[in-house]
Formats: sequence, C-alpha cells, structure tokens
Amino acid sequence: MADLVKITVDGRQIEVPHGELVIRAAQDHGVYIPRFCWHPRMREVGMCRMCLVEIETPRGTILTTACTTTAAEGMVVHTASDTAKKAQEGILEFLLINHPLDCPVCDKGGECPLQDQTMAFGPGESRFVEEKRHYEKPIPISDLVFLDRERCILCARCTRFADEIAGDPLIEFKDRGNHTSVETFPDLPFSSYFSGNTVQICPVGALTASAYRFKARPWDLLVVESSCSHCTVGCRISVESSQNHVLRFNGVDNGATNQGWLSDKCRFGFEFIGSEQRLRTPLVKVEGEFREASWAEALDVVADRLGAIIEEQGGDAVGGIGGARSTNEDAYAFGKFMRTVVGSNHLDARLDDGLDARFLAAVSPRAKIADLDRAATILVWAPDLKEESGSLYLRVRHAVQERGAKLVVVHPRRTGLDDRATHKLTYRPGEGPALLGELAGGAGDYAKVLETLSLGPVVAVVGRTGLTEQPQLAEEVAAFALSLPDAKVLPFARRSNVFGALDMGVAPTLLPGRAAAGDSEATGHLEAVWGPIPTQAGRDTMGILQGLVDGDLKALVLLGADPVRDVPAAGIARRGMESAEFVVAIDLFLTDSSELADVVFPAEAFGEKEGTITNLEGRVQKVNRVVTGPGQSQADWTILDDISRRLGKPLGFASAEAISKEIADVAPPYGGISWELLEWDAKEGAVVPYGEAGQPVAYRPDGVDREALAAMSRNPESGAFALHLARTLYDDGVLMRNSLSLHALAPGGAVHLHPADAARLGVSEGSLVEVETVDASVRLPAVIDPSLATGVVYVPFNQPGIPSLGSDLSVVVAAGEEVSA
Amino acid sequence: MGMINNLRRGFAVTLRVMRRTVFGDGLLTTEYPKESRQKPERFHGRHVLNRHPDGIEKCIGCELCAGACPARCIYVRGADNPIDEPVSPGERYGFVYDINMLRCIFCGLCVEACPTEAITMTHLFEMSVTNRDDAIYTKNELLVNPEGIPNHMFTPEQDPMVNLDELKDADGWMRATAPSGRAAYEGIPGWSASAGIGLRPPERGQAGAEVEEDDDD
Repeated sequence: MADLVKITVDGRQIEVPHGELVIRAAQDHGVYIPRFCWHPRMREVGMCRMCLVEIETPRGTILTTACTTTAAEGMVVHTASDTAKKAQEGILEFLLINHPLDCPVCDKGGECPLQDQTMAFGPGESRFVEEKRHYEKPIPISDLVFLDRERCILCARCTRFADEIAGDPLIEFKDRGNHTSVETFPDLPFSSYFSGNTVQICPVGALTASAYRFKARPWDLLVVESSCSHCTVGCRISVESSQNHVLRFNGVDNGATNQGWLSDKCRFGFEFIGSEQRLRTPLVKVEGEFREASWAEALDVVADRLGAIIEEQGGDAVGGIGGARSTNEDAYAFGKFMRTVVGSNHLDARLDDGLDARFLAAVSPRAKIADLDRAATILVWAPDLKEESGSLYLRVRHAVQERGAKLVVVHPRRTGLDDRATHKLTYRPGEGPALLGELAGGAGDYAKVLETLSLGPVVAVVGRTGLTEQPQLAEEVAAFALSLPDAKVLPFARRSNVFGALDMGVAPTLLPGRAAAGDSEATGHLEAVWGPIPTQAGRDTMGILQGLVDGDLKALVLLGADPVRDVPAAGIARRGMESAEFVVAIDLFLTDSSELADVVFPAEAFGEKEGTITNLEGRVQKVNRVVTGPGQSQADWTILDDISRRLGKPLGFASAEAISKEIADVAPPYGGISWELLEWDAKEGAVVPYGEAGQPVAYRPDGVDREALAAMSRNPESGAFALHLARTLYDDGVLMRNSLSLHALAPGGAVHLHPADAARLGVSEGSLVEVETVDASVRLPAVIDPSLATGVVYVPFNQPGIPSLGSDLSVVVAAGEEVSA
Repeated sequence: MGMINNLRRGFAVTLRVMRRTVFGDGLLTTEYPKESRQKPERFHGRHVLNRHPDGIEKCIGCELCAGACPARCIYVRGADNPIDEPVSPGERYGFVYDINMLRCIFCGLCVEACPTEAITMTHLFEMSVTNRDDAIYTKNELLVNPEGIPNHMFTPEQDPMVNLDELKDADGWMRATAPSGRAAYEGIPGWSASAGIGLRPPERGQAGAEVEEDDDD
C-alpha cells in the first residue's frame, strides 16, 4: 500500500495515497471535478481540459488539469474557486462551439455527460452565433457502431480504449485544429470485438450503436443489474428495457470480473430474447409434425411415454443433457430431476468441453480473475481468449500491458494476446502433450520459457485449445502449472453457466456442492434431503449420445442443449436423437436438436427469470428478471417440477428462491449464500466455497510424467493434416443465430493453411479447398495463415451453413476445383 | 323584514337575467351544440401534430413530450428517417405517436417540452368515444394535413355527431423552425386559426435570416 499524504481539497483536509490523481482522490472523498476525457479504467491524457482546478504552489496558484496532477503532501486544491469556475465555464463554452444542439434526436440525450456537466458547470449561454462545423452524419465505422463527427469533442476516450484496452488500434485522430476528427483507416472498418464499449464511454453522442439507434430514450428505460451469461466470466451488466422489450445491455464496473467492459457479443447479444422465433407454446410431435399443444396435454404425453420407459427399462435407460445455459437453480432442479425422479446418473452439462468435470469444478488451488492483477507470470494454455471470452482477454491484456506481467501463450494458432506475449509457443494439435513434456523438461529453447514461468506468482488459464485436442491435456497442463512457484489455475470452459451446472452436480461424476458421485458421506448428506439416488456409473454427453445410438439408452431429456450443433461429432448426436424412443426438450427455440424431439416445452430466457450463476472462478452472482417471457413460456425448474408431478415423484419446488435455499442446505460450499446476500451485501458476488466452508473434492492433478505425455501425443494419419477446430466469437449457435446483427458477423467457413502447405497443394488465398474428415466433407475457401505450424489446417467451428467436421484429428486436404469465372 | 331583504339580495342575479331573457336584451344561454361559443385564446383542447410549410413533419420522435407528461399518456417511438424520403428534418422521426385522451389532463406540458413546436393544442374539445380504445389518438388523427386540418377518427357516416368543418378551426400552426426547413418558405403566412398568428419572421441565427437579397431569382 502506498504511503498516505494529506492534501486539502476545497478547504477540507483528506488523506489519499501518494501519487493518486487529484481527480480520483477528490472523487473518492465526495468532490466531483467535471471531466470528459478521464476514465477511471484508462490512462490519463488531459485532453479535454474540463477538469481545470486551481492548485497552490510556491510560485502562486496555477490552473492545471486535475486528471494529470498527482497528489503530493500538503497540496492545496480549489475546485470551485472563481478562477477555476471561470476556466471550466470557458472550456464548456469552447467545447459547445462546434457541438450541434440536436440533443432531441441524439441517442445520448438524457444520459449525456456533456449535457449534464453543461447544466452543472456551464455558463448557460454561448457567445457563438456563427454557423457550426458540418460533416456527413452518421457514418457507420463498423457493422455495429455509427460515428457522428459533428458531436465529437475530441476527448480520445474511444481511440485510447481501442489502443490501450482492446488492443485493436483501428480508430485514430486525423488532421489538426478545427479539422481534427476520429477516423477509421481507409478500407478497414472498426471491426473490433469490443467496439461497443466506445459507445458506452463516449461522453457525447458521437458514437452510437446501430442496435439501439432511436429505439428509446434513457428516461423510459427500465434498468436492472444482472450478470451476462454468454460466457463463463459472468460480466456484470445492466439490462435495459422499455415496454417489455430488452433494448440494450451496458457494462457495469465490477472490479472482480469485467471492470465495466463487455465484448460486442455480450453487449449486442440480447436480440434473441425478443426474437419472433421464440417458442410460445408447448409442441407435441404427431406423425412427424409438430402441433401446438396445451401444457396439460404436453405434460401428459411426457408422463405417459417417459413414465413407461422408466417403468419398463428403469431410469438407467434415460439420459439428460443440458443445464449449462440455465441458472444454478434450474441446473439444480435438473440434477435432482434426473437423479431422483428419473433415477439416472446419465446427466451432463458439458457439451463439448471434454474436460474432466472434477477438474473444472474443483481444481485446487484455483485462481480468481482478480489474481491476474497480482500475477508476475500468466500462462495461457487455453482457447484464444479473444474469441471465446472477451472480458478475460481484456483482463490478461491489461495485466501484461499496464502492469508488466510476463505472458506465455501456448496455442496452435495466433491468438489475440500474441502481440503482448513474452513467449508464444505454437504446436500441431495432437502434439500438445509432447510439447508439455519438453517444456517441463526445460531443454534447449524451452529453458527461457521455463525461466519466465518460474517467476511467481503464476496464474495459469487452462482449457482445451481446440476441439480435436486430447481432453486430458488440460489436466496435464494444470499439473505442470501447479508445479510452478505460487501457482494457481483458472480452469476455462466457455458455455455460460457450465461451472454453475457442475457445482449443482449436473455431471455423471459429481454431486451438488463439488462432491464426488461415489463419496459416501456426501451421498448420505444428499439422500437425507433427496431420498435415495442411483449408484450406477453415469455416462457423459458423448456416452449418452452413443448409448442412444447403440440402443442402451431409450430416452433423452434436453435442457437448453443443442447437441446437433454444439457437439463436434454432430453425426452421432443426430443419430442418437433419431434412434431414441422418446426425446423431450426444454428450449427457447426450435433448434436442430429440439426439432428431433417428441415434445418441446417453451422456456424462459435470460432476462426473463431470476436466479444465480457461477462463473469460472466460482463467483456466484444474481441474474434478474427484466421482461416477461413470450407466450406461455416458463422457467426451466417449473417445467421440470410439473413433469415430476405427473411422474408421481414431485420435486416440490415452490420458487426459484426456495431452490436457492435448498442448494445452500444441500451443497456445503454454497452454504450461507442467499439471494439477499447477493443483492445487498455481496454486490460483486460471493466466491464458492463461501466463507469458512470447504469443498468435498479438491482436485489436484498429479505431477508431470514425461513418458506418459509422450505416449499421449498423437499424429494425424500419414498423408493427412492435423485439424485445429476452434470456436469463434460469433458463430452459428442458437443464440447468435437469433441475434441478427451479430449473426451476420460470423466469419463463415474457411480453411486456414500454412503458406508452405498451400504452395505444396497449389492453393492460393480464396481458392476452394476440399476438406474431408470421418464425419463430413466440405469445400471451403482457403486462407493463408503463417501463424499455423506446417501440416495443420484450422477450420472455425460451427459456422453458418457448414457441417460439423467432428473431433477427429486427421483431415484430408486437397485443392478443390477452381470455380470457373 | 330581514328575510325579505335577504331574498331580494339572493334573487337579484336571477331576476336580472330573467328580465334580459324575457325582454330580449340578450340570451346568456348558448344553444350548444347548434351553436358554439368562441373559446378563450389559450384554451387547452385536443392536440395536433404540425407540419413544416414544405409539408414535412415537425415531430422528430424525441419523446420529450412523453417524458414531460405527468399523466404518462403519450407513447412515442422514434425511427431512422429514410434518406430518400425523409418524414421529418434530421435523422429521426416519430414513427409511433399515441395519446391516450382518457388519461390526458390537458396541462400543456407536452407543448412546452416540444423542441420543434410539433405538438400544439387546439380549441377542439369534443372527444366523446363509445369505447376505450378509440380514446387513444394515433398519428392518423393527430397529424394535420398540408392544409393544417387534422383527421377525425370517424367519418360523418360512421358518427352523425362528427362535424368535419369544425376541424378547420384547429389551431395548428407552422413556421420554418428546423435548421433544415426550407428558407424559401419563411415569411409565408401559415394557417393559423384562432390564435391569429400570421407572418413570422425567421429567428435570429436561423438559416436565411438576413438573406432577402439572395432571393432575387
């Protein structure tokens, strides 16, 4: 902690850390100094001059900007003296010279810092009667953001954000003096994944979002705080709606997670909530065709057919997939439903992560996101964070760039963090274990990397880099990481609330509260509340789908899961669902999977229900209801409760909050966490295990065994390429598909090749390439990508119109026929 | 005696008016609805949405009226102005504009809040409806036509009480207030029913304020 110094602000003596900016010190002690360019999460520039204050110096008082002056012992600051006020009024009058007075049509009007501070600190009258500056307006600088240069006051918040925070310096000032304006580079749009943040931090209406353009005014928005559920970080957001329509998300500054920033997927990925395609009534399939049905009728069908299968073949013939897109309460209801009502251990919330459920839920010691701010070294052996988890990417980037932490990135391809990495290791998919063995050995070139990694404290972000990767590799990486000094592991999986669902026991190997499925003490504790639970070994997602194909399993319950799109081996998913005797789906949309179901129930989406979610560090946060669900849609737990009543074994839930109390009772790590706590005392969320509670399973991977690793390494068949199949931020997932302004941004199918491979195959940029795997064969345009190792092709997963290539490592690649012009 | 005095005092007005009525000095009663009285100049009747002299709508869909409304009876939604055929000056126009006349308290705060003088109040006050939905006036009824006359919700065939002539007394008025309003229309008399506003000079600083000599051709 820095030394405290005494400074005097407006006659009041305050103690602040040495070196603190005067503007921040004053604000922390209740004195607001007006500002436009200064943002608490960015470097200061002193660009707008709005924060002029008077500071006494030995040579008399001077006027200076509070955002660039650091507090020193004995400093005397006047923020509202006559001179300071005159200066502030002058600056505002100056800023308004060219600012158009089109506030009534401006999206920012009503929440505009320029408006507000003009009212509070401005002169009230302008002496400028000449014609204002005119530009063409508005110009789209990306698919999501409009720029109005007339309104810009040149505070450089957007350009600094793009450069300092996002690492996408795609906008910059052009020209000088009166002609200065923000511009994109020619032929290069502001296609940053974080462009929406500039709209939120713009202190005027110069940057506006196309998705919110003219939809509503700030004063008629109903603003409710919630937590984003697009990825596992759980960014704090404000959900803003008008007339029962969600109209926008804004980032809320939660120091523990997103610090106010959001990726564009999170910011604009709300359109699916109000989509016309949402299910509104239960659907029952009669002779191959869906028919709208009443709840009673649909529930009867489920009770008859699912009940018959359970009665005749036992609960063991039923599998359950899903829960990762739901709240903890819904996931808990799903786990309890599968284990007590159906009597099956075949349930899984992981769709494709492939990682051990115990590793994800209970790796120990586990890092918090905020540990990135203390780490000396960060190891990222995980998916490209920029593509899969924007906020986490920004946190890592910030730690490296602003704090000087060392960064080691290991990935088969270039990632968004490469430009900041101290060491970047590229490898062929399949050869990761061998690479890990060599890295742990520290011979040759790896000595330097190992030396960097030996600087503790170390935080390792560990996940599966691609969908063809050996699933066990992540655990080995975690084992290696934990052998480093003062190391912690942040397990990474992508799907919204997958960590919450695993904590709720939605996995064959886990019980609620991070307990192992076979553990007798945990089982006894649970059975006291639940009654008897099945003991046979459960299957994971692929096991369930394969079991359906093989006929071992007869029925499937889907809870917000779309295996046909989400699981790389789409063929097995489709065949499994087609060969099932009975499938019931609870979903928002008629997806590729729920289309194969026999009964589909309409569920409530994010923003329509209350509950809690748990992020990748174990932080539990509240999500809130803002609008009502369409038609007859209901919360997942209600639907499961209704089915359980028809099956004669009622779950007996009264409300989502009642479920949260049962979770706190049943799952020791969640003991003491209540909605009340999260809403009032723990605004940043509560980390599990909460308080003094421990957790039954503390998964600590064993040390690194080089021989075992060498044996684990795989190579593609001779003549074939190694396939790197990874997700992109925008893809063809069901929520993206129904968020129209984002779906258009999906990069689309492509085959990325190393230049040497391309030359060998006779392929040039854009020409068609034939790609063949065990599961599918497609023809896609080539992209030359020098960041790949030779012998590797990268294909983005789940793109519109492209069939899934499966998770097999080998892929046969050949130049396709040229399309004749 | 006191009682007779009190009676006389009490009936003084009645007797005076009775004398005027009987001897024809002038009727105090107006035979409404056959005839109607001149309303006070600042009477708050039903609203209209005005147009600029070139026919373009004044409403820019800013929702300030809805924000100012103490009865929450105004619902506005804005939309992007089509570039080829703008509905109003600027980027935004009022796409939906509804007033629930059952809730309206005719306070006139919407008129004060309007930055473009798009919404004004007229002297029209007959707004009886037989069903609550009809009390919601939409853009169809509120927006005046190029002659300055608003629509009635019903035709005289639908409702014998409808008097379309009366709509001509609507107090809508126009003026080239918007910066992009055509300067050529300035100084041309706008329709102005009861308030009697005729020629209005352009405002200070407005496009075309001192450019009379420019209009030679």
